[in-house]
Amino acid sequence: MIAGRALLSRFAPLLACLGLLAIWQAAALILQTDSFPTALEAIRAVPSILGDKESLINILASLRRMAIGFSVAVAVSIPLGLMMGRNRYVASFFNPLLMITYPVPKAALMPIIMLWLGVGDLAKLLVIFLGVSLPVIYHSFQGARAVEEKMLWSGAAMGLSAAQRMIRIVLPAALPEILTGCRTGLVLALITMVTSEMIARQSGAGNILFNALDMGQYETVYAMIIVIGAMGIGLDAAFEKLRSRLVKWSEPGFDIPLSFA
Amino acid sequence: MITIDHVSQVFQTSGRQSHLALSDISLTIEEGSFVSILGPSGCGKSTLLYIVGGFVNPTQGVATVKGRTITGPGPDRGPVFQEFALFPWKTVLGNVMYGPRQQGVKSAAAEAQARTLIEMVGLKGYENFYPKELSGGMKQRVALARTLAYHPAVLLMDEPFGALDAHTRTRLQNDLLNIWERDRKTVLFVTHSVEEAVFLSDKVVVMTRSPGRIKQVVDIDLSRPRRRAELLLDPRYQKYVVDIERMIDDTSEDELRP
Repeated sequence: MIAGRALLSRFAPLLACLGLLAIWQAAALILQTDSFPTALEAIRAVPSILGDKESLINILASLRRMAIGFSVAVAVSIPLGLMMGRNRYVASFFNPLLMITYPVPKAALMPIIMLWLGVGDLAKLLVIFLGVSLPVIYHSFQGARAVEEKMLWSGAAMGLSAAQRMIRIVLPAALPEILTGCRTGLVLALITMVTSEMIARQSGAGNILFNALDMGQYETVYAMIIVIGAMGIGLDAAFEKLRSRLVKWSEPGFDIPLSFA
Repeated sequence: MITIDHVSQVFQTSGRQSHLALSDISLTIEEGSFVSILGPSGCGKSTLLYIVGGFVNPTQGVATVKGRTITGPGPDRGPVFQEFALFPWKTVLGNVMYGPRQQGVKSAAAEAQARTLIEMVGLKGYENFYPKELSGGMKQRVALARTLAYHPAVLLMDEPFGALDAHTRTRLQNDLLNIWERDRKTVLFVTHSVEEAVFLSDKVVVMTRSPGRIKQVVDIDLSRPRRRAELLLDPRYQKYVVDIERMIDDTSEDELRP
């Protein structure tokens, strides 16, 4: 009985996926619409995308942009967020700016950005950068703010300078919170990547998707959604694995399967 | 030697009001003595300790350590806080090695010394545990070892046993005295427990509440090394406790009077 439960909780994510696919399959069979292929038809179209050299180049170009946008955003946002969390003046300067930009959908800025930077990589990178930075700044800020004053005092008594305390105490102490922000940022990077390609069509995974839609190749549309979804799940799972390794010291003693890792 | 010379501390509270936390405190702490600051909560006794630590700058007056004016924290004054303030991303060993490593001690030497200290505070076998895996009493033992590791001349203990249960508290008091007997560092110890102050100290500084003033400094003339079982039966110990408790009661009554 206990073994059965353990087995069930281990395969619960898989069962949920299969359930979703079954509902999709049934719904498509019942509706019988051209624009809504069955799950099996969509899955069957996946290998033809992944086997096509042109598509692969497109997808890799997307991933490259996503990686660059994400990395630059993280490299800028963590130091900024930490400084905001420890310095009242930095916080009071940047907080209003963040409050204003936070609710704006970053893809909505795409037309303006395209006017300035054209439809190339730079415009898309900027949108990804904007999408990723906000959650990372916010979580770094919260993490840094929550660092116990006495922990910093202990470091000061050992002779750590203000800069050393920032890097050697605030950064590691806030790391669990920072990585939570990065995880959200990673998913947002994928979302902004696809939307930017949808608006500025030139190359990329989003480009394949919307071109297929225009041409009425609905199997390809759905297959592409599956491919993008799988990329998201894969990236998130890999990141979660890295995260839990880095902040093992802060994890509570029980775990709920938060990811497919 | 520590001197506190006419120190006052004013805090700005919300609503542009100011609160006088410490009023004109003067105190001398001799080298190698164990001095407790005793008072009701909110009497500014921790603030006084933070001023000596260099974590808080006094509004008025000066504090000195070995003749030098205190302007900031330094490794000559090692704090131990009620909140432990361990580095949660470091193991017990990593925490205890942190100070010496910061001061440029080679890794092997720092580790050897840390292991000795960890054994001294009774945590042998827990070197590779993370703070979250330890009980409150064990965390405070690590915090003590971490501070002792960088050889501060003065130990600043801010209600270190305040968050612990009675049994753990008693054991840590005994162990602290045993460790202190070895090298007799200067200790400034903040507490609100009369028994704890009398049991540990050479001198008890009794403070009044709000604004914090020194009511009286009581010399505790009990021989060392002290053993709890003997001390509890000693009428002189009992008299110190009762006398100091009366003093504190008087200060509370003062407040009730309009």
